[in-house]
Amino acid sequence: MKAMIIDDEPPARRELRRLLTGFPWVEIVGEAGNVDQAAGMVETLSPELLFLDIQMPGGSGFDLLGRLEDVPQVIFTTAYDEHAVRAFKVDALDYLLKPIEPARLAEALGRVKSAEAARTPRPDAVLEQIFVRDGSRCWFVPLREVRLLTSEGNYIRLSWGKSQPLLGRALAALEQRLDPTRFFRANRRQIINLDFIEAVELGVNGRLHAQLRDGPEVEISRRQARLFKTKLSI
Amino acid sequence: MNDPEPAITQQKSQLAYWIFQLTGWGVITLGRFFGGITVLHLDWPRLLLELLLVNSVGLVFSHWLRDFVRRNRWRALPIRKLSWRILVVSFVCGAPLGIVTQFTYLSVLVDPELLLRDYAPALQFQLALPAAIALEIANWTAVFIVWLVLYFTAIAVREHRSAQFKQSELARALQLAELRLLKSQLNPHFLFNALNTVRSLIADNPARAQDAVTRLAKTLRYTLTSPQDELVTLSQELEIVADYLELESMRFEDRLRIEQDVPDYAAGVQIPVMLLQTLVENAIKHGIAELPSGGLLRISAVVRNVTLIVEVENPRPPAPTRTSAREGVGLHNARDRLRLLFGERASLELDLSKPAVATARLRIPLQQ
Repeated sequence: MKAMIIDDEPPARRELRRLLTGFPWVEIVGEAGNVDQAAGMVETLSPELLFLDIQMPGGSGFDLLGRLEDVPQVIFTTAYDEHAVRAFKVDALDYLLKPIEPARLAEALGRVKSAEAARTPRPDAVLEQIFVRDGSRCWFVPLREVRLLTSEGNYIRLSWGKSQPLLGRALAALEQRLDPTRFFRANRRQIINLDFIEAVELGVNGRLHAQLRDGPEVEISRRQARLFKTKLSI
Repeated sequence: MNDPEPAITQQKSQLAYWIFQLTGWGVITLGRFFGGITVLHLDWPRLLLELLLVNSVGLVFSHWLRDFVRRNRWRALPIRKLSWRILVVSFVCGAPLGIVTQFTYLSVLVDPELLLRDYAPALQFQLALPAAIALEIANWTAVFIVWLVLYFTAIAVREHRSAQFKQSELARALQLAELRLLKSQLNPHFLFNALNTVRSLIADNPARAQDAVTRLAKTLRYTLTSPQDELVTLSQELEIVADYLELESMRFEDRLRIEQDVPDYAAGVQIPVMLLQTLVENAIKHGIAELPSGGLLRISAVVRNVTLIVEVENPRPPAPTRTSAREGVGLHNARDRLRLLFGERASLELDLSKPAVATARLRIPLQQ
């Protein structure tokens, strides 16, 4: 598994590298000392796993994730950052406290491995998960759990569980990276997750309305109606 | 006394009590004595003997009264409840003394004939004794009332004073606690990063790792064990700053460059412990650590107009990032400590007038 270490302190990088020699299946393809450097390297080297420091000069680890189109698996490393650690309590993301305990590292890597195994092989272009930062909270959102994406100007509002985080991207750009067997463009502003459709009804205006589980009713535009019917084979 | 007062205060108040007791009763005795021999021309040895006897009983009674009101915690009573209690006990003590007094030489002080001159002679004879006794009793009751009022006034005054004293004591304790808190803001971010560096050095360079552990121990000991309001010389503080900077250099490697310009004449000036250290930590945290290529940290000192001026200069990132905007805490605390120790005579400012440079400037008056 290709991994990258991103930390501004050289001794910290060396130490992690040394700790990782105990895990030969983790191959370190690169190291970066700040966000700018890291962003370019992640694009070219496309690692599957990042060891990411939170506090770095010129932008935090969160800033890096926000800039990445494709977010690989991430293990955060931090010496002391209560706020960051708290922000991640919502999510199953892993973080390691420096100095890193070898046992905790093994645990975290074990989780990465099983997450990797559970992943169904997909064409490269399809996004599996998305990093969302909204105010002081951060999430890794698995896209299959998102029932609805609504365009709000240059942002996308995700309907995910009980939360509605805002994503700083345009809907059109993201659409191309979504799994076409799961997501469907319902109208000009909305993309729905077909797995969440509970019922489809014909409205008085002659248009189809899809009722989403735990969510709103979404109108299918006239243009998309035929495609929608074939997708659902109705 | 139920309050846990220091022994010395208790001794002092005991002495004051006896002085007042003896003076009070002495004045009453002397007054009556001179009244007796000058106005009424009484036989002075007998008068003196009887006065001494009766007034001694009065003194003993008043002393018992003090015991009694203390045991029953009358000082805690509201004025209204206290007033009628004072009346009752004063009468209880005054009655026997009044009766006794009537049967001594002193009774002559009151002439029943004069009092009852409007009544018929037969009635006069009948009422003479009870009226005289009633007067004596009233007289003694009044004495005890005055005694008790004085006693409770003294207690009230003393309690007011001790409350004031306690308040100033409390304020002082609070200040100390505040100082302790401000100083104990051990920087955990530094601590854990330093430990991580040490862990890395153990494999890379064991000798350097040993050095790092020693320096870390010195830094921690300095932070944790120096008294809160202690002053140290600038050179002592610089020693610990050097240890700290050496540890940070191991962490940041070539991103941190250090320059120091402290003339010998400034090195002996007294400054609050850990204050310069805080400024240097700040310079690292908001300056060097925020810049991908690091920069130069400069410490300089001069003495001008009987004032020590210490400057810590660091490059600052173009736009304050989220973290540096949030954390003015260190500087704020340093300012508070300075105020608590020197009042308005010292100051600390953050100068951002130069482009891309932040200068923390500390001014401390020289100690006489």
